[in-house]
Amino acid sequence: MSDHLYVGKSVPRTIETDKVTGRAIYIDDLKRPGMLYGKILYSDYVHARIKSIDTSKAEKLAGVRAVLTGYNIPDVRVGFLKDQSVLKKDVVRQFRDEVAAVAAVSPDIAEEAIGLIEVEYEELPAVFDPVEAMKEGAPLVHEVDARGRPAKSNILPLPWNFQAGDVEQGRKDSAYIVTDKVSTTWVNQCCMGTSGCIAEFDSNNNLTMYNQTNVIFGDKGRISEYFSQIGLKGKKVRVINPIVGGSFGTKLDTDIYEFICIQLALKTRRPVKILFDREEEFRALPPRQPAMFTIEQGCDSEGKLTFRKVEAILDNGAYTSWGATTPSVMMMPMSSLYRVPNVSFKATCVYTNNIYCQAMRGYGNPQANFAVETSMDTLSEKAGIDPAEFRLINRNQPGDLTPMRLKITSCGLKECIDSVKQELDWSEKKGKRNGRGVGMASLIHVAGGARVTLSDGHGIMIKVDEDGFVDVLESGTDQGQGSPTVISQIVAESLGVKPEDISLTFGDTGLCLWDAGTHASRHTFMAGNAAIVACEKAKKQILEMAVELMPRLIKGGFKKKKRKDPDFVEPDLDYSLISDPENLNIRDRMIFPKNAPDHPYFKMDVSQVLRRGLHVGTGQSRVVVAEAFYDPPTETLDREFKGNLSMTYAFGTSGVEVEVDEETGEVKILQLIAAHDVGKAMNPTLLLGQVYGAVYTGVGYGLTEEIKLEKGKVMNPNFLDYKLLTAMDVIPIEPVVIEPGDEAGPYGAKGVGEPGLVPTAPAIANAIYDAIGVRIRDLPITPERVLEAIKNRDHII
Amino acid sequence: MIDFDYKKPGSVKEVLSLLKDYGPKATLIAGGTDVMVNMRNRQLSPEVLVSLRGLDDLRYIRKNSGYHIGGLTTHRMLEQSDMVRTELSALHDGASRVGSVQIRNVATIGGNICNAAPSADTAGPLLVLDAVVVLEGPDGRRRVPISEFFTGPSKTVRKQDEVLIEFDIPEEMEGFGSAYWKHSRRKAMDLPILGVAVAVRLADDETVSDVRIGLTVAAPTPIRAYKAEEFLRGKRLNDDVLEEAGKIASSESSPRDSMRGKEWYRRDIIQVFVPRMARLAAERLRNQ
Amino acid sequence: MKKVSISFTLNGDAVTAEVPVTWTLLRTLREFFELTGPKEGCGAGECGACTVIIDGEAVNSCLYPIPEVEGRTVTTIEGIADSDGTLHPLQNAFLENNGVQCGFCTSGMIMSAKSLLDHKPDPTEDEIRTSIAGNLCRCTGYVQIVEAIEMAAETVKQKG
Repeated sequence: MSDHLYVGKSVPRTIETDKVTGRAIYIDDLKRPGMLYGKILYSDYVHARIKSIDTSKAEKLAGVRAVLTGYNIPDVRVGFLKDQSVLKKDVVRQFRDEVAAVAAVSPDIAEEAIGLIEVEYEELPAVFDPVEAMKEGAPLVHEVDARGRPAKSNILPLPWNFQAGDVEQGRKDSAYIVTDKVSTTWVNQCCMGTSGCIAEFDSNNNLTMYNQTNVIFGDKGRISEYFSQIGLKGKKVRVINPIVGGSFGTKLDTDIYEFICIQLALKTRRPVKILFDREEEFRALPPRQPAMFTIEQGCDSEGKLTFRKVEAILDNGAYTSWGATTPSVMMMPMSSLYRVPNVSFKATCVYTNNIYCQAMRGYGNPQANFAVETSMDTLSEKAGIDPAEFRLINRNQPGDLTPMRLKITSCGLKECIDSVKQELDWSEKKGKRNGRGVGMASLIHVAGGARVTLSDGHGIMIKVDEDGFVDVLESGTDQGQGSPTVISQIVAESLGVKPEDISLTFGDTGLCLWDAGTHASRHTFMAGNAAIVACEKAKKQILEMAVELMPRLIKGGFKKKKRKDPDFVEPDLDYSLISDPENLNIRDRMIFPKNAPDHPYFKMDVSQVLRRGLHVGTGQSRVVVAEAFYDPPTETLDREFKGNLSMTYAFGTSGVEVEVDEETGEVKILQLIAAHDVGKAMNPTLLLGQVYGAVYTGVGYGLTEEIKLEKGKVMNPNFLDYKLLTAMDVIPIEPVVIEPGDEAGPYGAKGVGEPGLVPTAPAIANAIYDAIGVRIRDLPITPERVLEAIKNRDHII
Repeated sequence: MIDFDYKKPGSVKEVLSLLKDYGPKATLIAGGTDVMVNMRNRQLSPEVLVSLRGLDDLRYIRKNSGYHIGGLTTHRMLEQSDMVRTELSALHDGASRVGSVQIRNVATIGGNICNAAPSADTAGPLLVLDAVVVLEGPDGRRRVPISEFFTGPSKTVRKQDEVLIEFDIPEEMEGFGSAYWKHSRRKAMDLPILGVAVAVRLADDETVSDVRIGLTVAAPTPIRAYKAEEFLRGKRLNDDVLEEAGKIASSESSPRDSMRGKEWYRRDIIQVFVPRMARLAAERLRNQ
Repeated sequence: MKKVSISFTLNGDAVTAEVPVTWTLLRTLREFFELTGPKEGCGAGECGACTVIIDGEAVNSCLYPIPEVEGRTVTTIEGIADSDGTLHPLQNAFLENNGVQCGFCTSGMIMSAKSLLDHKPDPTEDEIRTSIAGNLCRCTGYVQIVEAIEMAAETVKQKG
């Protein structure tokens, strides 16, 4: 494997040089001729009846081109459960409800117009606690369900129920059982680039949507569906990504502002841009789904897990986006992190008048992992087994088929746990209870796609022009993860060109083949595999051309030489070396015989062949173009939520040493080992970037970040009060990269985008326990919570 | 729609005359890091912005029978001054923890104090350094002890037609060691949950000959913990004494429950950081 | 809307902007000069994506009133490469060491770092972290950014 020229090398991100010169164009920077600026009016109340909306003053303001409300656009329902309308009519159910929107010739005028809209509300009773919301007699967030029938309760019709084995039997087989209650809260994805889009209709009412979605075809599908609801059936939709300033899950769903933007563009016949400011981003962008868990686990006298029973309650907020589907991902760690034969997992999603939620890096895994991994520590203590040893006893192993029917192929979990033990000096530091402590947590995550829809495919197209330059049309989204570099490495390696020969076009439904989306840590795996196939096809075309044309080109060269130099004697060459495409190879743009790679005459720049091929004569000219659509042989989950939905799984372990100030409750991370089984590091430097970034976000999740909701209202919609870590908040991260190689992965790679985040918070919580003997089970672990727990420990309060 | 006139006078005299002409319609802007944000949030919509940035001669840190710090001195200047770091350490601690380098490059100490946020990072230090605020108005200059300057959140004794000229720190502060602790969730870009400043002078026998304790975010305005100071005078700074001083300081405070911190927590950590800062201030004094 | 005419030096050129008096430097750069490298990540000086260098010092252009720019020297991310397009060592190092991911914070991040290196060619890690503490980044965890700035400092030093 070591003879790779580009794969596995830290190729710099020069393909993205525009990002360091200020020339990269984000949605913020994109302007279309005649473009208007849209702005949204949000509800002033958390739950209220709209008595009247007066838009007359806004309409009269010079420069305003459209004022829309729920009363003058088609009343259709959108969203995962079709439980909301684009602009709210009659009732608002959360503070961020979109009540009206304007388009104007400048952002200032749009904002002024918004201020001129007068809405009269009649307040309704609201509910903010999902447990309260489940009770009989609680205020109903929705009066009717998605089908228009009177609603009876706030519980969503999404019965997440996973059962495997026999939990009761497992309980009987247990020598030790623990039950814990844990909770996680709302956190914002904090993309540095805020949300935005431009909607532009052509004269035939076909739409071009410039937006940040990382699922371009899913987005296109949802907009097309909306079109059919609003009388634009049959009109085309093209979705184009500009450079995306961070994604982290926020771009998975089609957001309400995008539908509003479409309505404004339709109404004004002009391109319209909506761009969130930071406050909107905090208030009106669905954050990570919070969850409350009751987790019960048991093990036998030898420490082998016997059962795991978990009940989760999810505060769904007022409407439904992907947050409500996070239990589908929670099932993975619940059922398959460590060997556990008997599993029960039930999740209930409940409407409240809080903000609704969506995806964020790791989907439901960080929430579930926090429950499982803090409980693993409690159980290991009860069983009297060292937590690291306890995890090793129960570790996943290659060849396992988990209760969810996940097929574990490559699995470096043992190596990850061992590395953490070694790097942290675990045995030495563990159990001191002197204010310093160590803790660990591991994860499982999809790393070879995630078949959440019927297709988990990724299409790629490659064209090689006559200069040997390569255009790759790639339906993924470049949201910062480094894919332009990694895909260019794979194409360079597989096709035999140089990375700088390659141009990539990302995220354009008009140009690219179908793709399930740049999510679930799937892009390198999927696009990489697709690229390898497409490159093989293109390479074959080139080599077939080479077999035909190389002898001609060489002989032609000899003829020329002879003309210049009559004494030149044409060498006697063995043309059979280049008579079969199978015997030829391309590397770094040079075509050469496999058996004679340094042959003085049979080594030729690929462009010579390609140019000749294009100008070969009547009816014979050729171009090189190839495509591949890689759809892995995985399974969608069946009715019992079982099935092997990914080609392979990522494993990793976070190990943390903390120091706790017992007077202030502050937690300092002294060391953080992030050991990850990545299959193969395609680009070691870029891979570390994924780990560092994910771990940092995980530390924020564990210690500092929370959206503070007070009666449904976001109280900290800014970076002053939302505590995103700064460069001064040094986390000494030491990554350990385990590379067992994965058979299914491109050059052995597995997905790595999300894993670093997942086990970080529970590892911190476990280390705090080791340091001071208090268990914090609610995120984030604030100094106040720690100090309160210390006081409880010492019976001060 | 927001619109305003922007005046950029070149002297204090011109500033005063503009303030007189426009009265309450005018808002002073120095570094602008608060004013610009407040205008963006629609919390402030002045008709006239009177910029102080032309008053370059009010940017200074001087030592001359005490210390004199011009009102337009930026936090960055304080952060980078060796004299402030070694002789007015608490002020250095405070100034260098404000926002970010970008903020400190423009935000001024005069602005920080006149804005009168209960969390102002230079307020605690100036309190324990016994600073005097020099204001100039139509009737000339007047001097207000910083302990009397704040009257409430965002409220001070500065009149609408006055400009803050400088802070005077008495010569006797040379004999003090001082320290300020900003207790915040992050190491930068943050507001304090609590601020504790201590300045102390020790007699030859290591007893406290004089001490001042300043608390921020512990009451509606930055405050002095006079009772704790009184308790400490004449005593050695041992653990028991400091613990008691922390308790007294805590009892003198009246912090509130807010999103940024709970009342009980603030009261608790006053007891932690009064001793810690007293020790640090004493240590700095010994090392001087 | 009242307009002002402001003359200053922008990336080495003498320029004049006629813009509403209410505009910030950031808005002027982005909308009047169409220099969209500086970004608005928060508009409140809390994220640093808008950082530019004024008279040698890094500042948040989102908080900088345009009338204050009169007569000053402003450098943006667009103005730090050589005129022939040769990248500044910081730009190279950010590409080399993955100091850039989504790139939204990058313009501001590099300008903060440049201001540091201009003052202090051989900074400590702590000084580097202090200099970019006002530049939030969600992608990188700052690790490779700090390393990139160290690499760039080394390059600058070797170049003399």
